[in-house]
Amino acid sequence: MNSRALPAVRHYGIAVVTAVLFVLLAATTDGFLSQANFRNILDQQSALLIAASFATITMIAGGFDISAASVFVVAPLFALQVENATGNAALAAAVGVVVGLVVGIANGLVVTALKVNSFIATLATSFMVFGVGFLVSDRSVLRAATDAYPAIARTRWLGITTGAWIAAGVVAAAWLLLSRTRFGRHVYASGGNAEAARLAGVPVARVKTICFALSGAAAGLAGVVSSSRSLSALPSDDFSFVFGVIAAVVVGGTSIAGGEGAVWRTIAGAFFIALMINGFNLHQVDPIWQRVIQGAVILGAVSIDAWTQRREH
Amino acid sequence: MTSAGALVSVRNVSKRFGATDALTEVSVEFHAGVVHGLVGENGAGKSTLAGIVLGVHAPDSGEVCLDGSPLRLDSPADGAAAGLVGVAQELSLLPAMSVVDNVVLGTEEHVGPFVKRRADRARVKALIAEHGLNVPIDARVGSLSVADQQKVEILRALGRRSRLVVLDEPTARLASHEALELRRTVRELAARGVAVVYVSHFLDEVLSVSDTVTVMRDGHVVRTSPASAENHESLVEGMTGRRIGDAFPAKPPAPAPGAPVVLQVDGLSSTRSDTRVIEFFDVSFSIRAGEIVGLVGLVGAGRSEVAHAVYGASRAGAGSVHVNGDRLSGSITNALAAGVSLIPESRRQQGLVAQRSVRDNTTLPHLRHFRGRLGIRTRQEERAAAVACDRVGVRRPSLTSRVATLSGGNQQKVLFARAVMGQPSLLVADEPTRGVDVGSKRSIYETVNDMAEAGCAVLMVSSELEEVIGTCHRVLVMRQGRIVAEFTGDEIVEADLLAAAFGQTSRSAADTDGPV
Repeated sequence: MNSRALPAVRHYGIAVVTAVLFVLLAATTDGFLSQANFRNILDQQSALLIAASFATITMIAGGFDISAASVFVVAPLFALQVENATGNAALAAAVGVVVGLVVGIANGLVVTALKVNSFIATLATSFMVFGVGFLVSDRSVLRAATDAYPAIARTRWLGITTGAWIAAGVVAAAWLLLSRTRFGRHVYASGGNAEAARLAGVPVARVKTICFALSGAAAGLAGVVSSSRSLSALPSDDFSFVFGVIAAVVVGGTSIAGGEGAVWRTIAGAFFIALMINGFNLHQVDPIWQRVIQGAVILGAVSIDAWTQRREH
Repeated sequence: MTSAGALVSVRNVSKRFGATDALTEVSVEFHAGVVHGLVGENGAGKSTLAGIVLGVHAPDSGEVCLDGSPLRLDSPADGAAAGLVGVAQELSLLPAMSVVDNVVLGTEEHVGPFVKRRADRARVKALIAEHGLNVPIDARVGSLSVADQQKVEILRALGRRSRLVVLDEPTARLASHEALELRRTVRELAARGVAVVYVSHFLDEVLSVSDTVTVMRDGHVVRTSPASAENHESLVEGMTGRRIGDAFPAKPPAPAPGAPVVLQVDGLSSTRSDTRVIEFFDVSFSIRAGEIVGLVGLVGAGRSEVAHAVYGASRAGAGSVHVNGDRLSGSITNALAAGVSLIPESRRQQGLVAQRSVRDNTTLPHLRHFRGRLGIRTRQEERAAAVACDRVGVRRPSLTSRVATLSGGNQQKVLFARAVMGQPSLLVADEPTRGVDVGSKRSIYETVNDMAEAGCAVLMVSSELEEVIGTCHRVLVMRQGRIVAEFTGDEIVEADLLAAAFGQTSRSAADTDGPV
């Protein structure tokens, strides 16, 4: 491949591919180019985008947070219990975020102080959190008791739901934090070469702990937004949410090894997957086949990423 | 040893990478039983040439012949199958496995799916006996010294009936006595009829180990001649194309006796927490503003450990470090705030974040100076990074290029740019020119001198005595964790430094071999 074109393709590949998919769907699919469809996609993606943007930061810092699924399931259970008891939706939402924050801080401390591999550590905390979810909900579905709680994510503003607005705000915050601030640089350095970062004065352990704390809080908020959309929450031990998050991050091109990646990549990755599913649905592809194809696409994206990286050196 | 035909001959080989000509019409022959040194500055084409012989790169034009007939290698595996193997700078061993497992890896004796461990052990034992490369065969490779690990790598090559072995910077990570041991191993290999290609930056080492030396410059072969016909100066001249009157710039004037003391170390001691071995004990010294002080000693004498303790990268058990009169708390943040900069020993492992840009690597510890309302003020940051990089002469495609794309010498200069930017009052430089080409070395010494002249105190830890003699005002010698001698000005001579480093018993010096 052309030596000058390659870095650019590698750099913006996912954005290009997502744009191509968009054009393809627009040209071939009835009902794709409609406001209602886009509004739907945005609304459906809001929870995933909230969690994935901060999961990206954690992954760049060299951490792997699998506990997002458990927080996503359990934080709204806490929130709805508070809402049912007090009727205060804002307090409920805050409690949901704090639950995520607490789990995140615990993850961060276990990973940095006890030096446990982050995948294993967050897998272990996931089980604990899932268990707490059954306890706090008494194993039953919790429903919103007020109108204020559903309003958190379902209110329309300028034609778009507040859930999508919250997602946009969180994404922007994560993007700025990572690309514009000293903390962001410290994240890249900690994930790229922890020892070099430490010797350059970067407080590596603190940086990583903050990353886990923030991604925990983001997962909590994602859970609140999702439960607000669906008016309810139920306890489970379903890991699928975090797989969606990781798929978006990795398809976007953020390195699992740490040190490389960007929030915009994750957004592109998330929309690529979302558009693909949307296209399948509009074309009425059998959902079982959708999974097979989706898996193949993720594998393809990651393989291309590995291949171009190898080429680059 | 003489042999009629060459084992491997490279004929008119050219190779381009993108816009750069890595090799142009290169011809060279490697003979069985001959140690063939390959020298040149970074980017001269040594590694590319080695890569072509090993099948890592395919030549754009020209050919590689084995025993006189053209050879087509599409991968290193093809090369290995033809008996051409490389021992890389970075070892490719499995640290958690034993020596035996590593040596036989991929060629295990087996019955169906089951490995025959006893047969493997016997084979490795035989190899060791045959070549005199003594390593404990059941030891975990990760627990061995780097020199022993290198032996394991060489044993692996030998176990595959290799006919040509390329050693790329084999001693870059070795202490000098280990390097000497490796040289014996290399001679041993050649005596067994193996063709050895020896790529190294250490010219004296190349001269002492090689039979033949090829000098390369800018992708061309300058000349190939018997090692006996070359000396240090002739090699440098060939590599750089110019005569370097002196590898070292003139030292800046020694500070006046009344110059303020910048670094004051008192009674510093440390014991390793895991092994309870004393790293260093009761170390006391001071450095004045503008003074360059060398810290030498054998590997394990505690030099780097002292440097790290001064910087706060590791905690000392007892004693104190004062910089400009303020006592340091022993944390890196505190040391940085007090104006201490560190050039770490290994730029790859401890210095640079390879994936990030030149700019990011330069400004990493200094980001607080560019704080704006909306995060980092990148334009200001970029300007400051450019100034620092220009001051130390970092040659770079752009400030946003990945630091990993720079040559080794320029990567090292990025670390100096980082240090310079902090305007430190104390520079702690651990092996400041390791793995750096001759031209970059000189420019690094100039940077150090500039800093000293501006009033910076410099603590230079080095394994290259020549470098210490050429740059330092004063040298401290450590042995077994203590400072045992101090030399100033004209007293700094190699023989005395060595004697102090080894201690009085000259017999033990002969046993361990070689300096530092």
